[in-house]
Amino acid sequence: MDVVRRNNVTVTGNPHGPVVVLAHGFGCDQNMWRLTVPALARDHRIVLFDYVGSGRSEPSAFSEERYGTLDGYARDVVEVCEALDLRDAVFVGHSVSAMIGVLAADAAPERIGALVMVAPSPRYIDDDGYRGGFTARDIDELLESLESNYLGWSSAMAPVIMGNPDRPELGEELENSFCATDPEMARVFARTTFLSDSRDDLKKVRVPTLVLECTDDVIAPREVGAFVHDAIAGSTLVTLEATGHCPHLSAPDATNAAITRFLAALR
Amino acid sequence: MMCRIGQQPEPQDAGGGRTSDAVFAALLEDSAEELYEFAPCGYLSTLMDGTIAKINRTLLDWLGLEREAVVGRMRFTDLLTVGGKLYHETHFAPLLRMRGEISGIALEIKQADGGRIPVLASSAVKHGSTGEPLLIRTTLFDARDRRAYEAELLRGRKAAEEARKRAEADRARLQEALAVLQQSLLPDSLPTVPGVEAAAYYHTASPDRLGGDFYDVFPVDGKRFAFFLGDVCGKGPEAAALTSLTRYTLRAAALHDPDPVAALTTLNKVLHERYAGSGDPRYCTAVFGTIEPDAATGEAAIHLASGGHPPVLVLRADGTAGYLPTPGGLLVGVLPDARFATAGTTLAPGDTLLLYTDGLTEARVGEDRTSLYGDDGLLRFATGHAGRSPHALIRALTGLLDGFGDGLDDDTALLALGVPTSSSLSSATRSH
Amino acid sequence: MSPLKITARDATTGPVVEITGELDYASATQLREQLAALSLQPGRRLVLDLAGMEFCDSSGITALLAARTQALAAQAEVALAAVPGNTMRVLRIVGLDQIFALYPDSDTATRA
Repeated sequence: MDVVRRNNVTVTGNPHGPVVVLAHGFGCDQNMWRLTVPALARDHRIVLFDYVGSGRSEPSAFSEERYGTLDGYARDVVEVCEALDLRDAVFVGHSVSAMIGVLAADAAPERIGALVMVAPSPRYIDDDGYRGGFTARDIDELLESLESNYLGWSSAMAPVIMGNPDRPELGEELENSFCATDPEMARVFARTTFLSDSRDDLKKVRVPTLVLECTDDVIAPREVGAFVHDAIAGSTLVTLEATGHCPHLSAPDATNAAITRFLAALR
Repeated sequence: MMCRIGQQPEPQDAGGGRTSDAVFAALLEDSAEELYEFAPCGYLSTLMDGTIAKINRTLLDWLGLEREAVVGRMRFTDLLTVGGKLYHETHFAPLLRMRGEISGIALEIKQADGGRIPVLASSAVKHGSTGEPLLIRTTLFDARDRRAYEAELLRGRKAAEEARKRAEADRARLQEALAVLQQSLLPDSLPTVPGVEAAAYYHTASPDRLGGDFYDVFPVDGKRFAFFLGDVCGKGPEAAALTSLTRYTLRAAALHDPDPVAALTTLNKVLHERYAGSGDPRYCTAVFGTIEPDAATGEAAIHLASGGHPPVLVLRADGTAGYLPTPGGLLVGVLPDARFATAGTTLAPGDTLLLYTDGLTEARVGEDRTSLYGDDGLLRFATGHAGRSPHALIRALTGLLDGFGDGLDDDTALLALGVPTSSSLSSATRSH
Repeated sequence: MSPLKITARDATTGPVVEITGELDYASATQLREQLAALSLQPGRRLVLDLAGMEFCDSSGITALLAARTQALAAQAEVALAAVPGNTMRVLRIVGLDQIFALYPDSDTATRA
């Protein structure tokens, strides 16, 4: 199948600039980057996509087997890079996508030249001497809530969003499709995300890496940011004055400034 | 529509203005403060970073928390389950930022004792005089009943989904079984008959592809091949069972004695014994024959018998065609002792014998589909194709059948056996 | 295209069943059920009057054969009256013209 269509790939920005790939996390799609794109578009060629099972990807391409592991999602990344013949791209991944980027960079080193990890977490569940922020019971409840709150995830997300005259950049189409989630595929992605343990994979990183954490992340506590920073030799850690797990939405200016600084230093 | 039970007048009619006055007075007793605290929904005001600044008694009671433990110490997300937190981060908060308000989002709040209450949350951002966002006001409605209802819907959906999957698996298994049965009714391919070209076609009108027509060609001894073609009465699985019985009976009978009348007589006995006493008479029409090629002359001798079947056609190399009449042959399986009509001919190079079932001649043609294609129509068609090879003839007839469209509503079997002219090679295949 | 209609009356020779309309796969069961309800005495004759029959396919032929089986089981006779030309052609092809008693109309069929 055509990968560009399969992953709903969008290319925007400066066609002659260095390539930045923006990868969404669990429960989202490429629209999560709408406040990031304008800040990078002038100087960078920007590649956006939806993982299979998210957003407007091709539903028929989904298989529980492939997307039951993070490697399956990493293959999506590599295949998107191959389809566009990207080289030395900067991969910006949010949340679980930061770890998917680590796997993709290891699998296709010629394609990915640097990593930006936004609110990353290699392991969500607390472990011996490790604090991931969640107990195993929390995760069980989360996975169960995906089942029981089926209607919540699939349709309650969809309070019909009226036009927003204050923010004309938000087209109606975008608003209506905002992070649309197929509950069955979301369930698979959630299991893969929250039951994974990618801590050992961090050691494989050989490219310049920026780790962005929030002062008050309700998903990944500060300890996780420090863990990731320690595990990746030569990485840069930037702590954003931001609440929540999506600094690119809750504190877009600070997030964009940190990413832009990192991109400038790469040149 | 208003429904009043009994004949009592409404209260205001009885008490003049007094009752409504009392109600209104009681309302005056209700302070805005009390309404906030004890409203039948949870109220919550947070700073823009989510820190809880104000919370009402109803919500504190739901949570099982004291005000001091919450205000200034907890964030809205601290009240939520993990799933709720995640949903808040990925959906609720971004949308609220985008729109300034959001309503009817399904979340779950955690109670101090570990319980969970499903709620529907709505939030709106309050802005200051210069338009800067000041705080977020949130109301939470108890959605336990709604959640129970949703759970019921979900259970129903899951049950329906499982039933659908089961039905699909059942159907797949059934289709597999049907395919195997179907294969037992018709030969996969026709055998190579030295010095003879054979071609066949089967049109099925039934959606489950279980046909009521049949044909076969097979060797019976060193010199002869047997062939048969026929039509069983009825449709569907019962007809298929009869077809199967007929086919294998004829094959077995022919190996014992390839004489056409002997083979049909054996089939007649078997069918009559099987079905006559059942109160559900079942029978078939069939032509059974043998073909014996003679390498010395390049000709082939045909001997055949018919039990109630339409006469076969012979197409000659010289461009003529004609029926080979078999009058008086009785349906097979009707009477304990049936009579079968015999006929014979010799096929010279370029001659072809055509066996068919009445789906072909009974096809409805004409603008209004009221007249039958008929014996005369078929004879004209055959005459037009006399001299052609069996394959070419079957191809032409397949085109004719296709042209009938919905005028052809019955199964139709075609079998052509011919002696090739010296220029063409002998072969045997079956077209579909 | 008219639906099958079946009416029965008694003649001195036995029951006469008039079949009008189309006798096909869909309606043949109706004929077989109504015939099964008839009581036939030994030595009597069941006459099937086909003067009004517009169409008869192989299911119809089966129903006629079932009538014959039923009559023979009751030691009665069976006869077809006023067989339409097209059906007669089919009866000849399948050889049934030899096993059914045939009469030009129901009057002659009930006279003998």
